[in-house]
Amino acid sequence: MAHIEEHPILGTMEKKKYVTVKVDGREIQGIEGEPIAAALLANGIKIFRFTHKFNEPRGLFCGIGQCTDCVMEVDGVPNVRTCVTPIREGMEIKTQHGFGKESTYE
Amino acid sequence: MNKFDVIVIGGGPAGLGAAVEAARLGARTLLLDENSRPGGQLFKQIHKFFGSKEHYAGTRGFDIGENLLKEAASLNVVLKLDTRVWGVFPGGIVTAYCGEKGLKFEGKTIILATGASENVLSFPGSTLPGVITAGAAQTMVNLHRVLPGKKFVVVGSGNVGLIVSYQLKQAGAEVLAIVEALPQISGYAVHAAKVKRAGVRILLSHTVKEAIGEKILEQVILCKLDSNMKPIAGTEFTLDADTLCLAVGLNPRVELAALCGCHLIYSPVLGGMMPWHDENMCTSQSRILVAGDLAGVEEASTALDEGRLAGLSAVQKLGLRNFKEVDDEMQKIKDRLTKLRQGPFGEKRQLAKQGIISMKIPKESCL
Amino acid sequence: MSKREIICRCEEVTKEEIIQALQAGDTSLEAIKKRTRAGMGYCQGKSCKRLVAKLLSAYLGMPVAHFLPGSIRYPVGPVTLKVIADLDLAGGKENEN
Repeated sequence: MAHIEEHPILGTMEKKKYVTVKVDGREIQGIEGEPIAAALLANGIKIFRFTHKFNEPRGLFCGIGQCTDCVMEVDGVPNVRTCVTPIREGMEIKTQHGFGKESTYE
Repeated sequence: MNKFDVIVIGGGPAGLGAAVEAARLGARTLLLDENSRPGGQLFKQIHKFFGSKEHYAGTRGFDIGENLLKEAASLNVVLKLDTRVWGVFPGGIVTAYCGEKGLKFEGKTIILATGASENVLSFPGSTLPGVITAGAAQTMVNLHRVLPGKKFVVVGSGNVGLIVSYQLKQAGAEVLAIVEALPQISGYAVHAAKVKRAGVRILLSHTVKEAIGEKILEQVILCKLDSNMKPIAGTEFTLDADTLCLAVGLNPRVELAALCGCHLIYSPVLGGMMPWHDENMCTSQSRILVAGDLAGVEEASTALDEGRLAGLSAVQKLGLRNFKEVDDEMQKIKDRLTKLRQGPFGEKRQLAKQGIISMKIPKESCL
Repeated sequence: MSKREIICRCEEVTKEEIIQALQAGDTSLEAIKKRTRAGMGYCQGKSCKRLVAKLLSAYLGMPVAHFLPGSIRYPVGPVTLKVIADLDLAGGKENEN
């Protein structure tokens, strides 16, 4: 899918700095500072986590940090809202299962 | 250092308008916003506004945002971004955090401009990745230049649904249909005409029955509704879509206002629960003012003017300026707001607002 | 593919469970929350509250407004304990920002 380079209103995309991150061990590129969720979607990744009760896939939903559906494990920290967390070079992003690896209250 | 005359919570059009007016008249003003860029949802609005010149007709949302930001900066509004407010306590204490750090501020007056949240629907499969809110689609496409999918179905023919559909087309996506439960289009005819010209069909008296997909959305099952809005058996049909956008209205984000002890009222026309306010945007709590979508869901232009009104009102409360002088300025904005609330849609909102303002509410001042 | 209809996205409470709660006699958002956990998750009911209120309204034949806004508590949004500890709420030193 990648980013929209040409847009009738927004114009041509400025040159941006790309960063490399790992998603479940696989390297992908994103634009520095964009939300992690945007980078993932641009790379065709839509499943961000699996739920604790029904093990259902979830992804982006509200896009403004309210619904918490898009949470993932980022650099070892679970429950990070990827739609409002800027992407940075070298981040380790993981599909979250349940409440994440640090949850002890299941 | 942390004491301010006016603390504005939320840096959308209402919050920016409030901060700019308060600072212009000499109030020491702090503007807090949870995002890394202020402007709220203005920067998603890449379409031209219409109405009269003084209401920014012909200007695109993001340009209005940029101008407001410049104005705020030139007036020495203290702007704290990436700062999420989690409480407002007696004494005008505002608690927030930025990153890992907890922060505390004190305001003589507080203007809440926390905006609105999107309504959602539930149906089997509504949690599948690929089912998103219209706001999420707008954020991704218009702010981050990422299309969350290729083939879209949009639910809701209000202005948000119509505009999002058009913007998705602009960005190169396919919009298979706009689905509307009512027998008529909910948004402005201008927007609807534009969408139809772009080749998007609008299915009236239809709803989503189910979203289907193994792990992500693959298909949407739609069905027809009868005149009582009940699904008609046997009318189901399937569209192959990878994204379903929910554009089914907004509701005011009342959490902070409720915790402040602001008297809440319910207005179906203005989005549901909202804090009661008078004609000067003052709530039942003497220190707390409200503006924008929080004070009833309307449009960016009304939010901006309500913000300006709240900013002036706060200055008036604080006695920083000649009462009459501020009053005259406030009257001008009130007149402008009345003009904005005209036409078949605006009129309803005008009536709802008038109804709220004329309610008798016990005023308290526990904050 | 699942046929279940989720009302509370965080706590994965289904429509069926909410209806069971209604049938068991729950008449408020608070009661349904305590029985089913709907609205008790990470987002604190931001998206499900209105859906539950609508079900209550339909079942009990009362306006939605009767059930909203439900209970709202501090903090608004998820906050770490460090953030609260930083505040020195007992008074004393001011934070330097």
